[in-house]
Amino acid sequence: MSPALVIVLRILAALGLMLANGVVLIYMLRKVLGHLHLRLGPVHVGPKGVFQTTMDVLKLLSKEDVWPSGVDRALFYLAPMVVFVPSLMAYAALAFSETWRITDLATGLLYTFAVLSIVPIGILMAGWASANKWSLLGGMRAAAQQIAYEVPLLLSVLPVVMIVGSLNLGDVVLAQDGMWLGFLPKWFVLPQLPAFVLFAVAGLVELNQTPFDMSEAESELVSGFATEYSAMKFGLLFLSEFSNSFVISALGVTLFFGGWLVPWVSSEAIQPIAPVVFMIKVYIGIFVMMWIRGTFPRVRIDQLMQLGWKWLIPASLGWIMVTGLVMKLWQLGPQVVG
Amino acid sequence: MTDPRDLVTDVGLLAEGAHDPGSPPAGIRRAPTGVDGLTTEHLVINMGPQHPSTHGVLRLIVEVDGEEIVAAETSLGYLHRGIEKLAETRRYNQLGTLMDRGDYVSGMHGEQAAALAVERLLEVEVPPKARWTRSLVAELTRIASHLIWYGTFGLDTGAMGQFLYAMRDRESILDILEAISGARMMFNYIRPGGVVADLPAGIDGRIRRFCNGFDAYLDEHHALLGGNEIFQARVQGVGEIDADTALAFGLTGANLRASGFGWDVRRERPYDAYPQLDFDVPVGTTGDAWDRYMVRMEEMRQANRMVRQCVDGMPEGDFTAKVPKVIRPPEGEVYASVESSRGETGVHVVSDGSDTPYRYHYRAPSLFACQVLEEILPGHLIADAVMLIGSLDIMLGETDR
Amino acid sequence: MLPDATVVRSILSAAGVHDAPAEETSLGLVCRVPGSGAPGVLAALRESELDFRILVDMLGTDTGEGIEITYHLRSLSRDEELYAKTALPYDGDLHSVWNTFPSALLQERETAELFGLKLVGHPNPKRLFTTEGLEPLLRKSVPQRSVEEVRQR
Repeated sequence: MSPALVIVLRILAALGLMLANGVVLIYMLRKVLGHLHLRLGPVHVGPKGVFQTTMDVLKLLSKEDVWPSGVDRALFYLAPMVVFVPSLMAYAALAFSETWRITDLATGLLYTFAVLSIVPIGILMAGWASANKWSLLGGMRAAAQQIAYEVPLLLSVLPVVMIVGSLNLGDVVLAQDGMWLGFLPKWFVLPQLPAFVLFAVAGLVELNQTPFDMSEAESELVSGFATEYSAMKFGLLFLSEFSNSFVISALGVTLFFGGWLVPWVSSEAIQPIAPVVFMIKVYIGIFVMMWIRGTFPRVRIDQLMQLGWKWLIPASLGWIMVTGLVMKLWQLGPQVVG
Repeated sequence: MTDPRDLVTDVGLLAEGAHDPGSPPAGIRRAPTGVDGLTTEHLVINMGPQHPSTHGVLRLIVEVDGEEIVAAETSLGYLHRGIEKLAETRRYNQLGTLMDRGDYVSGMHGEQAAALAVERLLEVEVPPKARWTRSLVAELTRIASHLIWYGTFGLDTGAMGQFLYAMRDRESILDILEAISGARMMFNYIRPGGVVADLPAGIDGRIRRFCNGFDAYLDEHHALLGGNEIFQARVQGVGEIDADTALAFGLTGANLRASGFGWDVRRERPYDAYPQLDFDVPVGTTGDAWDRYMVRMEEMRQANRMVRQCVDGMPEGDFTAKVPKVIRPPEGEVYASVESSRGETGVHVVSDGSDTPYRYHYRAPSLFACQVLEEILPGHLIADAVMLIGSLDIMLGETDR
Repeated sequence: MLPDATVVRSILSAAGVHDAPAEETSLGLVCRVPGSGAPGVLAALRESELDFRILVDMLGTDTGEGIEITYHLRSLSRDEELYAKTALPYDGDLHSVWNTFPSALLQERETAELFGLKLVGHPNPKRLFTTEGLEPLLRKSVPQRSVEEVRQR
């Protein structure tokens, strides 16, 4: 096959994965939140309501595309795309197994974070372009919180990169192959627990999930920046949010929980079912995020800013120094040559 | 003695010159501030009347500087049905139906107030069984109303999990009230003289089962919401109302008690079976939203205690006194009040000797909570505004009447 | 529970209202003050030894000759209640007492709107419940169906 065709097929595979994820995640969210809230979630459409999301997508496709008067037409049209396309691009560097990737990027981790940081621009555009003060507030809040928390997000994964010595996500997983003392897997969550906690908190903020969903706080802003959007534009914004949660969970699994690795089984042996193992772990991570979402109240925006600037950034900087010190004293990790 | 004018701030609504003809709504003004040729304006934002979180159709017009509220004004009337005017063509035993639709979440309290007013005009003595039954259903209603407040208060802060757990417990109460009165919401059960019908057989077993389980459920509810650090950070220290302000603005009920002043109509102006019931009245200290939360949670526990006492100590006898079918009280006026879940619900009736009231006034505690909301909102963030409305437990049905 | 009528009368005299009737009715102790003197009298009652610090309730009644405003005062320290009534003409001025009792802010707007009075001295004298153009709904002149009419629907 010609290389160009392979590339196109890979991109279509990523798109297919993103859409399939969206369908499954939306259904999973509604069911998980439902059962947490002592109710059932979708039950009518299909057995146990499994076709609910399909019907919802068809509904969104057939809805009237409302253009409120007074919107900035160019920005209103572009904003969902500026939110959606980077979410799709973020799939490029994920490593589902030793050979299954969209592309093998040497700077995979950096690329993923860089691409995800374009999303707040789209949210700000969406908030501004809707001629609605509430959307504006939602967009402002989203910009403030997501841009502020990119710093702790990046800093929290830096110790892992220091230990592995590479930004390639496949290499990060392979570095976690093996066992300590015969029974503990070498997953980075054990020696790097503080980094994992910081990554989890910063990741939740980046995703606009409760307890940090101020930009779309339903009880205050109706739908925040997405209030004036309808039909497929709203679908794109919504889909991008679920897709981002998959990407962040996948990054967390890759960096801290051994990617596609299973304890007591070597990496080569697990290859046939490695993508399945990876997806299972990612979905467990997403389930935990939904669990938190269904339980906690929302943090106030100024409290969130304080948490980020006063606590998370110093903590992540401190942990980087500790990791560096330990690595230097015990001669761990890759040695710098030359 | 504090001058009330010192209590009322001079920003926004009550500022000097706030009401200029031709200017925007009183107190709401755009204050441009200029730096380097850039001006920033205050946004005037409209919250409501339809809103995922205001408790009823409350419209708040707030002027914000970024996220901080500078001035606020409540705009009421979206649920005004003219209850006071309608009462002038209703017979005295039909007044309870109008009160049901005022504070529709705690209907029994409204009916109790209306019945008490008529009984005072007629100077009729209510038999003990009726008094104890009334206290029983009133305390059950208090628990039901506070459960709604608890569920929606969590929703205001973003926690969605606890809402249906609160509704589950409220369903048990509504089933009991349906067995007693025949309806889940518009009870029409308490009439002048007593109650409409006797308690059904076997209801005490059901109520006891509910009471035995409810304390544990209440602990669960408190652990889920009040034990959460994020909730505590949202709620503690926010919306402080000191006792002087609360009294000056006419607050009553849990809002006043959270500010440190322990005035409870059941203690100070006892009615029905409350002189014989054993209960504590929780009083807070600082008057912030956290104290209001704690006071109401404790009130639910005390109400559960009272329900158990009412069931255990229910006397025998008539469930109503002998009142004529068409009540024609002597000429005169009377004011009667009860401790409803929101505060002191009062009824002021003027009778001209005929079978309908000449003037009927419904003193609604939520109206005063709306007033104090305008006073305390400046200085808080928008996120706090929604939470404060919830913490004051404003019910628009009785505010607008 | 009932304040001393003579003390009330002396406070009212000191406030400039002489020979004010203060009688006991089915309501409680009721004293009557002339229309425009209500704010001064209420302030005097608040500052006095009787310590009526709380305005529980405020309502208007259409008596056929005018509007009668009733102020329901409560003294917490002495556990006493007092009712002060003023008589105002139709379309007259309702002088605000918000300086003494901020709890009257919304109630005065409601009373002025529903009885067709002009609110004086209030920081925000707008309509509260009904829309512009509606007549004062609580006046007896605004008709409503009687009980018989309701039954004959």
